[in-house]
Amino acid sequence: MSEPVTEQGTWLHVKAAGMDLLLSTQDLREVVAHSPVAPLPGRPRGIDGVVIYQGEFLPVLAWKDLPGCEGSKAGPAAAMAVLRPRLGIPLDRLIGTMKVPLNTLKEADENDPAISWIAGVCEVEGQSFRVLDGDRLVALLRRFRGDR
Amino acid sequence: MDQSFDDVWAECEDLFAQARQTLVKLKSPQPAHVIQASVNALFRTTHTLKGMAGMLGFTSFSRAAHRMEDIFDLMRQGRLRSTDSVVETLEAGVLALESGLAGLRRGREEPEDYLHALRRQLGELEALARPAEGGTRDLTTMLDLSTELLKSLSEYERTRVTALLMNGVPIHGVTVCLDFATFDERLRLFNEVLGAQGELISTLPCDVPEGAEGLGFLLIVACATLDPASLPTLEGELVGTALLADPSRVPASMRNEVAVQPTEEPPPEPEAPAAPPQAPQAQEVEILRLPASRVEELEARLMAVGQLRDAASLLLHQPLAAGDDRPAAILGQIEDGLLEVQKSLLQMRMVRVESLFSRIEPMVKSLSRDTGKPVRLSFQGSDLELERNLLGRLSDPFLHLVRNAVDHGFESPSERLALGKNEAGSLRISASQRGRNLRFDIRDDGRGFDLERIEARGLELGMLKPGQTYTPERLHRLTLEPGFSTQTRASQLSGRGVGMDVVRAEIEALGGEIHLTSEARRGSLIRLTIPLSRVVLSCLRVRCAGQTFGIPLGSVVRVQAGKQVRHGGDQVQVLSQSMPLESLQACLGLPEPDGQRAFVVLGSQGAASKSVEVALGVDEIQGRGEVLLRSLPELAHASGIMGGSLQEEGILWVLDPEAVLGLAMDSLMRRVARV
Repeated sequence: MSEPVTEQGTWLHVKAAGMDLLLSTQDLREVVAHSPVAPLPGRPRGIDGVVIYQGEFLPVLAWKDLPGCEGSKAGPAAAMAVLRPRLGIPLDRLIGTMKVPLNTLKEADENDPAISWIAGVCEVEGQSFRVLDGDRLVALLRRFRGDR
Repeated sequence: MDQSFDDVWAECEDLFAQARQTLVKLKSPQPAHVIQASVNALFRTTHTLKGMAGMLGFTSFSRAAHRMEDIFDLMRQGRLRSTDSVVETLEAGVLALESGLAGLRRGREEPEDYLHALRRQLGELEALARPAEGGTRDLTTMLDLSTELLKSLSEYERTRVTALLMNGVPIHGVTVCLDFATFDERLRLFNEVLGAQGELISTLPCDVPEGAEGLGFLLIVACATLDPASLPTLEGELVGTALLADPSRVPASMRNEVAVQPTEEPPPEPEAPAAPPQAPQAQEVEILRLPASRVEELEARLMAVGQLRDAASLLLHQPLAAGDDRPAAILGQIEDGLLEVQKSLLQMRMVRVESLFSRIEPMVKSLSRDTGKPVRLSFQGSDLELERNLLGRLSDPFLHLVRNAVDHGFESPSERLALGKNEAGSLRISASQRGRNLRFDIRDDGRGFDLERIEARGLELGMLKPGQTYTPERLHRLTLEPGFSTQTRASQLSGRGVGMDVVRAEIEALGGEIHLTSEARRGSLIRLTIPLSRVVLSCLRVRCAGQTFGIPLGSVVRVQAGKQVRHGGDQVQVLSQSMPLESLQACLGLPEPDGQRAFVVLGSQGAASKSVEVALGVDEIQGRGEVLLRSLPELAHASGIMGGSLQEEGILWVLDPEAVLGLAMDSLMRRVARV
């Protein structure tokens, strides 16, 4: 008898802001080499500045502004993941892709300060990964704007 | 002929070219939805031609276009079938109008009847479309709907339901209950999805199920099968589907007996080989009509850049001494040259706002005459430019808004006098550039929106909930929603079928916004904000905190530099006038400088006597220049920054003068509060 098919997701395993993170490949436009970020005067919280991407300005995330990332020791960014809602995510390092059954994705602990921008936590081979949620992240950045 | 009408002529020519192409398409067998879309397009084209001719004062042409529009209306209602002979007659009609227009352009007198040669054929078509004796066929009673909902169907919707049922197409209903906050966007999405599945006949407000919150809508769609799984339903949204009418129950005697559009693909030839895949439908292409001089100008600028490139190439083959600044200089020249090329390309797509205004003036005069309401019409900002494609798309919404203002907004002269107003209504239309947006304000001093009536109608239509309080803003906005009308029938002047929701949809399709405000008996203001995709701005370049900024020259009143060191909060004397100074750093939240020797006096754009002026301290004035402004994406919107421009040395941030003025005033207030 064959095993029941479990729905799997493909994730990009990255190191960003000193954390191990999983990004859903469905949320990604592409990953590009990191280019210097032009600082935006009076930048909105959560946005470091912009880079030119496909001839237009692309906002780049400021990890340090996100809950749970304050004081994070982010190294110099090596690459940038471009999310579908047109947001650049600086990455310290690309580690690889992995296929993970979706049923291993667990709700984040309600005390996890990153709960406002992650989809949950994934346990793979004894290691716990935060899974970035692009929609939540953009919603959080919009809330930051509204709070100004 | 007045040169300012050049754009109108060009647009008429384009409309005729489109009409001819569409008629050619109708001469070959087409699926029903293509026929319906083509006839709708022809109806809109003749409607627009009628309006434009009326606006230019060519009443006879307008009358002829109206007659053609009526015939296309009969076709789109399914009362007149698209046969070869019908299409030939209509083609001859369109050609008669086109040649008539060419004559007018050459200064000929208007004939009494442009369609005189076709009067017999057109009369036959009109007679053919007349309902048979015994009244109009109407199968809408077959729809499984309440009497109230049936009553809300327009004549066009009734004829479509009837025609589709007679031709064997089932009619389905989709009920949706949508959240108050997002219902407009959601409804549009449902409309799009259903429109792709079949013919969307109507969208009607309806009751929501007991205990549910939100706004209820019934979407009536004709298609062979309706796939509920394809609907863009969100979690928590109540969506139901039902077959409203089964065409197999149409009496046999009524099937296939009238001239209705065929709804199935024409049957293939019996012995024909398998049909090749259909070529994709030709996309509507935008045609730019340009004076040859503009193309020549672009060629000249491209050649100049080419020469610079050649010079750079020669330089590369020469030994360069250290400190030789020729490469940098030539790079700067290439950059300037490319900006000129970009400007030329942009200008090819630009047209003065005057072209839009010139369409409104004759129409207002004609409306004023027809309604007996004198109007004082004034325009501001006609020298601004907008993208050519916007001109065509803004004309209809503008004409509709202006018609509404004159038709419904203004009181009669006697009423106005009794209210102590000037006998002639004031209609002021202004255009102003706000960063990369063009803002149009349409102000009238009429009776304003009747909010009580709007609220009552909203309750009656089920678009508002009884027992709740609605703000004036909400009630104004309600008038822009699909399905809302306070009129039981459209007046002759306000035209047919183009409601405020259509105006809103058109403006939003352009990425713009529409905002209404009014005051009872004082008048109303309709504000349209339309984004331009790219703008070339003349800016003053300044340095501040190690970055370069551009300040749009239109807002720079004066530039001053000297030896005196000034600080934020100081008062400076400019032409014997004292004004406060604030550093640009303080406005943008950057570290405060030790002192600055230069400042720019900023004034609020477009204001006259009550303009606000502030001296803005900067580290260095670099001079003026033109920049190609790119807007910032929403997530990166920063206070005081309108957008940026790519420069050799990095990004130049272009300031939003109005926002910077506000930031400067806030910062100065904080300084005062700290003292």
